[in-house]
Amino acid sequence: MRSLKRAAQLFLALLRELSDENAYARHLKVHNRTHSPEEWRHFCEHRLKAKYSNAKCC
Amino acid sequence: MNSILGYLGWGALSVLGAYALAGIALGRGESINSIWLVVASASIYILGFRFYGKFIAAKVMALNNDRATPAERLRDGHDFEPTNKWIVFGHHFAAIAGPGPLVGPTLAAQFGYLPGTLWIIIGAVLGGCVQDFVILFCSMRRDGKSLGQMAKEEIGRVGGFTALLTVLLIMIILLAVVALVVVNALKGSPWGTFTIAATMPIAVFMGLYLRYWRPGKVLEVSVIGFGLVVASIFAGQWVSHSSTWAPWFTLSGIALAFCVIIYGFFASALPVWLLLAPRDYLSTFVKLGVVLMLGVCILFVRPELQMPPFTRFIDGTGPIFAGKIFPFCFITIACGAISGFHSLISSGTTPKMIAKEWHAWPVGYGSMALESFVAIMAMIAACVLEPGVYFAVNSPAGIVGATADQAVATISSWGFPVSAATMAQLATDVGEESLFYRTGGAPSLALGMAHIFASSIGGKAILGFWYHFAIMFEALFILTIIDAGTRVGRFMLQDLLGHVYKPLGRTGWMPGVIGASAAVVLAWGYFLIQGVRDPLGGINSLWPLFGIANQLLAAIALCVATTILIKMHGARYMWITCIPLSWLVVVCYTAAWQKIFSDLPRVGFLAQARVLEQQIAAGTVPAAQMSAVQAQIFNNQLDAVVCGVFLVLVTTILLDSVRLWYGILSGSVEAHVTETPFVLSRLKAEEI
Repeated sequence: MRSLKRAAQLFLALLRELSDENAYARHLKVHNRTHSPEEWRHFCEHRLKAKYSNAKCC
Repeated sequence: MNSILGYLGWGALSVLGAYALAGIALGRGESINSIWLVVASASIYILGFRFYGKFIAAKVMALNNDRATPAERLRDGHDFEPTNKWIVFGHHFAAIAGPGPLVGPTLAAQFGYLPGTLWIIIGAVLGGCVQDFVILFCSMRRDGKSLGQMAKEEIGRVGGFTALLTVLLIMIILLAVVALVVVNALKGSPWGTFTIAATMPIAVFMGLYLRYWRPGKVLEVSVIGFGLVVASIFAGQWVSHSSTWAPWFTLSGIALAFCVIIYGFFASALPVWLLLAPRDYLSTFVKLGVVLMLGVCILFVRPELQMPPFTRFIDGTGPIFAGKIFPFCFITIACGAISGFHSLISSGTTPKMIAKEWHAWPVGYGSMALESFVAIMAMIAACVLEPGVYFAVNSPAGIVGATADQAVATISSWGFPVSAATMAQLATDVGEESLFYRTGGAPSLALGMAHIFASSIGGKAILGFWYHFAIMFEALFILTIIDAGTRVGRFMLQDLLGHVYKPLGRTGWMPGVIGASAAVVLAWGYFLIQGVRDPLGGINSLWPLFGIANQLLAAIALCVATTILIKMHGARYMWITCIPLSWLVVVCYTAAWQKIFSDLPRVGFLAQARVLEQQIAAGTVPAAQMSAVQAQIFNNQLDAVVCGVFLVLVTTILLDSVRLWYGILSGSVEAHVTETPFVLSRLKAEEI
């Protein structure tokens, strides 16, 4: 049961990583900020610029 | 006791893998169950990972968990962040899994199921996994540097510039090919066209939702987006039956090609948050979900393979693409066995997330093994179709005849019986007007997937839904590749043009953005239109060009990897990367030579151009078709030049590398390893 729970947690963490939600949480923590629409937009500007400066794989 | 059990377990797995592989390799005369492919491939991937991958990790790379990785040393909460190894694994897999491992095996199934399957398994274990793993390791030991930077530093300036130029050229061909796959899947299909068109407003809605209404709630909006996409599949069925709406979404290949080109231009110039990013989130989740679902359904249904192990087309006369099994099977299947593009991912985001050095083993080697398994599933999906149906869907009219009766007569005469009635019934079942001449691989893959899904859930009654679900799944991430690829191509072009006129290099300067976007879109758009107009279906010329280019990029990555291994260990372990490198050089040079110089018009670009010139000279070309034939002549000559340019670029980097290797091994050049110095890791296990 414990390993099932651990697997589910890992899966959710993967989804949050793929959706950049983890990266946003880290951004808030590193810069000691709180969530706000402006902060999210500021984060997106940096994150997406870096993310889409590389080609998607074929 | 445990070690004895371990040896017994690994021994049993080896025997099982060998038995299953022998079963698929030696079985003749009767159809085999797809489970044999699953067991053989899974056993060999696990063994390759456990023994060959671990040998490389321990002996060659000497991975050391006490050594701090760039993620730990340069931790900034953005790009560099130590991350749980299974999350990095999933992240890396999602990044390397594109349409290549799905479409390549589907096209290569024209040789039968065996050649492609063996190449996927062996190529991945000895080539693809090794390339991804070694490049990831090299980048991780160099602060997450890119392949281009490593080529420049390890081999020289020529190598670095060549790598950059090669990537730009490959991307142009790649974008044209994947766009052609989408166009061929959607032409004359109001259901499919509506569904894919609907993903654009859905993505824009998601972008606005994230930007203004619920900022940061990516998972939430992705669930809503997925619900809307599924609803659009049902709505697409209604549209296809509506006499008012169906004509609006029933488009020819050329019309669709122009739509994709215009879309590509706007998507690359629009803000990323509005269209590209939300659709990328959606396509990533759909991709992972569908791959998982396909795996489960194959295990549940265990379908029989209808395709024989070999077909008559190993002699090079295949209707889907011309050319003998060697070398064309090995360039048609790139991403499922070895893909140069992966080296860009392995030297991109992933090395900046690795928390402990040993995590590179499952991430680098393991992710590629899983991607290769996806290619095996695509091969199964293609081969569960009746061969006659498979060839009817994938063969162009220029080969099998322009009417349904001609097509089925030609295909049946090859020994793959199929009737017009069967094809008509199948088209009705999946809600299409016709399934003939759907070249590109996507429709036949969607048919195979729909067959497997429908056998698990819903039966024949919802075959149409599953077919269009599969088409949506393929088109969704292909369009994301087009968006992102055009944007990256624009950055690379602006980077180059900035040396000529500085403002052109600024990514925020609107005239530069518009000009560079237009140039990149026109470049791949030209090849796309060429493919759509090609009477041989386009795939015959463009897919081999893409395959050669992609494998040549892998050759560049392996040159960099070999250089680093020689600097680390001398000649001792260079065979690890030299074996796949030598194979790729032989395959790519042979394929490129044949595509340029073969006397067979369906294989050689120049021979095809000569035949058309002779037809014009003999006066057999009607005046109405004169300009089209002249365009075909030019296109064939252009393809030959592009192929030649690829060869020149890679020969340059190869010769430069061999010169360096000789210098190091003979002692005339100092082997300077450019790894970052050892720093003791202070990262605790509970932190990751």
